[in-house]
Amino acid sequence: MAEWFRTFRQGIAIENPLTVLMIGLCATLAVSTQLKNAVFMGLAVVFVITMSNVLVSVFRKHIPSEVRIPIFIVVIASFVTIVDLVMKAFVPSVYQVLGIWIPLIVVNCMILGRAEAFAYNNRPLLSIADGMGMGTGFWLVMVILAAIRELFGTGKIVWFGSTLIALPSGYEPPSLLLLFPGAFLVFGFMIAGSRWLNERSQARAEARACRR
Amino acid sequence: MLKSLRLVIAVLVACVAAATGLSLTYAWTAPRIAEQDRLAEERSLQAVLPEADDFTQIDDPAVIEAATAAAEPTDLQGVYRATRGGVDEGWAVKVASRGYGGPMQLVIGLDTSGSVTGVSILAMNETPGLGTKVETEEWFMAQFMDLPPGFTDTDVRALDSISGSTRSAHGVRNGVAAAGRIFAEVLSVMEGGS
Repeated sequence: MAEWFRTFRQGIAIENPLTVLMIGLCATLAVSTQLKNAVFMGLAVVFVITMSNVLVSVFRKHIPSEVRIPIFIVVIASFVTIVDLVMKAFVPSVYQVLGIWIPLIVVNCMILGRAEAFAYNNRPLLSIADGMGMGTGFWLVMVILAAIRELFGTGKIVWFGSTLIALPSGYEPPSLLLLFPGAFLVFGFMIAGSRWLNERSQARAEARACRR
Repeated sequence: MLKSLRLVIAVLVACVAAATGLSLTYAWTAPRIAEQDRLAEERSLQAVLPEADDFTQIDDPAVIEAATAAAEPTDLQGVYRATRGGVDEGWAVKVASRGYGGPMQLVIGLDTSGSVTGVSILAMNETPGLGTKVETEEWFMAQFMDLPPGFTDTDVRALDSISGSTRSAHGVRNGVAAAGRIFAEVLSVMEGGS
């Protein structure tokens, strides 16, 4: 069980797909202009990565390594299509804004990467932890990035038509934040922040180990 | 030989399993998706022609062909005759026009004289906060309503764009211009003929 939680936590902090491994950036930068979009896009990714990890891990002994990549892609594409159809049927307002980015989860290298690097070599239970951890790590970073970009780029955060937080009306939002250069700037600071947090927690862990 | 057969079977099994799963999901969601699409379309038609109580899609192939030609370079997706209690109220034209982030689906309402009663955006992928200003800046959409009956491309081109979202604004303007051309070349003529 301890191993399960360690794997789960690894995806969020030490091996965060966005701030540490830096994979799956393309969709992140594009979708993180609005908090609402980021939340649902992130949830879709959590679902797809967890499910594909489980399936790949369960059948790992039956998947010949020569054809593993096509099989991974078929598995991932199927789950993405399921998410696509379900979102279209039940949350059309969200589906409308996410548009092309949902089908593009298929080519998000983070999901294929975890299938290849983790699920193909590990037990199903651990693969669930990895999928959920990586997915949550991705979700968390994208949501924070989107919140910063939306708040400072438009002056307010809007959730399904109602304003959650609004900056004072004297604030002139720089539209740079909503564009890609702004995304890279904010993202750079987030990488710095997460490295600082990771180093601090590692130093603490070492200090604790020395005292023993 | 045996080895490669095993590879083929593995891929085949994966594909068949995936296809089964997908067709089940599709069968489950298809009616709901069709319903959602119908509702969204109905809402957008109602939004551009609030007075009308009935919309019938025009399916006369000759009309559609002429209207599609008139809509170039935008992509015509449907023409609707709007009525209120059986009396003609106007027309709604659905086009896909190129914006910055791909096609923007627009519905343009025209009254029987050919002036714009409303423009609504059914779907778009413009940059939030920049391209989406075409929807949030009220003056931009309002200026189409002031176009004269039987307006032409020149009238539309004279309207203001939005700085920072030029391409998106052009997308909307091209859509409205296409609706004007469809009215001038097809709908107004058709009315005279019938």
